[in-house]
Amino acid sequence: MWQQVEQSLHSSMGLVMNKIATLLPGILAFIAAFLFFLLIGWLVALLVRRILTAMHFDERMRGGASAIAEWSPRATPSLLVGRVVFWCFVFAGVVVGVSALGTSEHIVSGWMLGYVPRLVGAAILLLAGNVLARFVARSVLITGVNLNLSYARLLSMGVRWMILVLTGAMVLDHLALGGAIVELGFGILFGGIVFALALAVGLGSRDLVSRSLEREASRPVEVAQPEKIHHF
Amino acid sequence: MAAVEITEETKQQAERVGPADVVVGIAGAVSADELRARAQQILSELGSGASSLRFVFAWPGAAPEAAAGAAQPAESPALTLIPFSPPAQGTGEIWADVSASQRAVLALAASLNARACIVLGSDLAALRTHLIQLFTYAVLDRQCGLVMPVYPFAKYDGLINSGILSPLSRALYGKRVHYPLAFDFAASGALCAGLARTSPAAANSLLWPVTVAATQFPQLPVGQVHLDVHHQVAAEGLELSAVLGQLAGSLFQEMDQCASHWQRIRGSQATPAWGNAADGQPEVQPIDPQPMLDSFLLGSKNLEEVWRLLLPPNALLELRRLTKLPSDQFRMPDDLWACIVYDFALAYRLRTINRVHLLGAFTPLYLGWVASYVREVSNLSSAAAEQRLEQFARAWEEKKPYLLSRWRWPDRFNP
Repeated sequence: MWQQVEQSLHSSMGLVMNKIATLLPGILAFIAAFLFFLLIGWLVALLVRRILTAMHFDERMRGGASAIAEWSPRATPSLLVGRVVFWCFVFAGVVVGVSALGTSEHIVSGWMLGYVPRLVGAAILLLAGNVLARFVARSVLITGVNLNLSYARLLSMGVRWMILVLTGAMVLDHLALGGAIVELGFGILFGGIVFALALAVGLGSRDLVSRSLEREASRPVEVAQPEKIHHF
Repeated sequence: MAAVEITEETKQQAERVGPADVVVGIAGAVSADELRARAQQILSELGSGASSLRFVFAWPGAAPEAAAGAAQPAESPALTLIPFSPPAQGTGEIWADVSASQRAVLALAASLNARACIVLGSDLAALRTHLIQLFTYAVLDRQCGLVMPVYPFAKYDGLINSGILSPLSRALYGKRVHYPLAFDFAASGALCAGLARTSPAAANSLLWPVTVAATQFPQLPVGQVHLDVHHQVAAEGLELSAVLGQLAGSLFQEMDQCASHWQRIRGSQATPAWGNAADGQPEVQPIDPQPMLDSFLLGSKNLEEVWRLLLPPNALLELRRLTKLPSDQFRMPDDLWACIVYDFALAYRLRTINRVHLLGAFTPLYLGWVASYVREVSNLSSAAAEQRLEQFARAWEEKKPYLLSRWRWPDRFNP
């Protein structure tokens, strides 16, 4: 009996070692590809930064109303371009590594590999949606305050959530989760909000709107008073 | 550094005209006929005093107009008119376009080897004999490198200048100039080429005459002349936040570019002034500061999350304390306002948040200062208000070490 147990242990150990041995080249290929692209990315980013510095790229970007200069927080535009180049290489390294892992046809199934691009795409969508929501919400808030709108914060929050809901729906759609339910749910939610707003203005504020229009129509033409204060 | 290019046509006309003593350039569109009439009147009024000086008048003329009246020896042998083409800006921002034309005038004066260049606003309000005499006297007789104007503003006029531009420029560059953002000024021949030359990064700068004179030509004295002139700025359709953003943004950018210069400057020097100061400004009626105070309070209620990213905790505490004061006791301390502007300049440099957002979030704070200033000077005479502004500017100088410390070590906590 002990011989059978020993034989069975040997065979299972052999099987596991065999599996590890067949998987190892894939993992090694992944690590090698990743490290190789990391190194190349670092070198290319360094080269790009040097070239841009020699071309006085930062000064040129700051000279005009450049979009790149505006979108590079806490960093110079050349640093931003260098970072973008570096991360492009890192991303390429991950893709090549995952492909090398996939060719070993073990453990990591084809389905999982096929899903990785969707996950990456969804992550980028989520990130971009969040950044956009924050940026637009802050723009609306500041503009609203400068226009002396007492409901500026409400407006800003509304815009923020609209963009976030839209982003959420896009992410779920990209991940192919929920199928038609997401589309239907989003359509109902968005349509509902617009319909509710239309009803609120059309029915709830009917008297307010009519009073406001009457007041405007009956207001005498005002002669503009010269301003007593001059800022410039 | 690149010089402002003048067109080939202008260069040829300048060569034809030959060297000039004084170039009077108009920085904006103007009728050639009106300019010629005014120039002839000035030359005849100057009489024998101007006989030794050769005047050239320049204006941004279009081709057909130029052909009609330009560079032709006019009735008087001393009068010469030259049209020039200002560099295309097309920004639609009033000061940026004026600034580009001013640089073109200076470039033309440099090509004519002029001993003095007088740049005037396009409304021709300052094209008057005694003002030309004043500018010429300050540059040629008193050897000033740069001569800036002192306008007879009332106490509620030019508040962006009084509240930000003038005290900040004075604290940074050490020159007590009343109006660093001016439509009219004069420069000596030695300074003309330097002012016309600019790096691409400084092309958007608006306060460049004072900045360039103070940083690149510190040996040339700066003077001022009193002008009894009121320029009409087309304020209709201009939003305060947009204008403030443009001016403050330009100033902050300039601070970043000239940091190595202004960090070495301590204190300030008085600038001599010539001409007669307009005595007895008409007293204006007190203004109700409540609308500006309301804007500040609305800002502090909604924008605190943005201000928190830009201002240190003690400034936020002070602002919060101000919001709780009864409106009749509202007063923003001078040093608090100076520190707020310095902190915004630092945040602009560090790109702590998007720069458009940063400049937008600045407007309610500025209106808070305006409300405080208006309340404070409402019962003061114009002269007393002027004294108050002098005291205010000194507070900015006293707070300069705070700016230096934060600029050099931005992450250090500043109690």
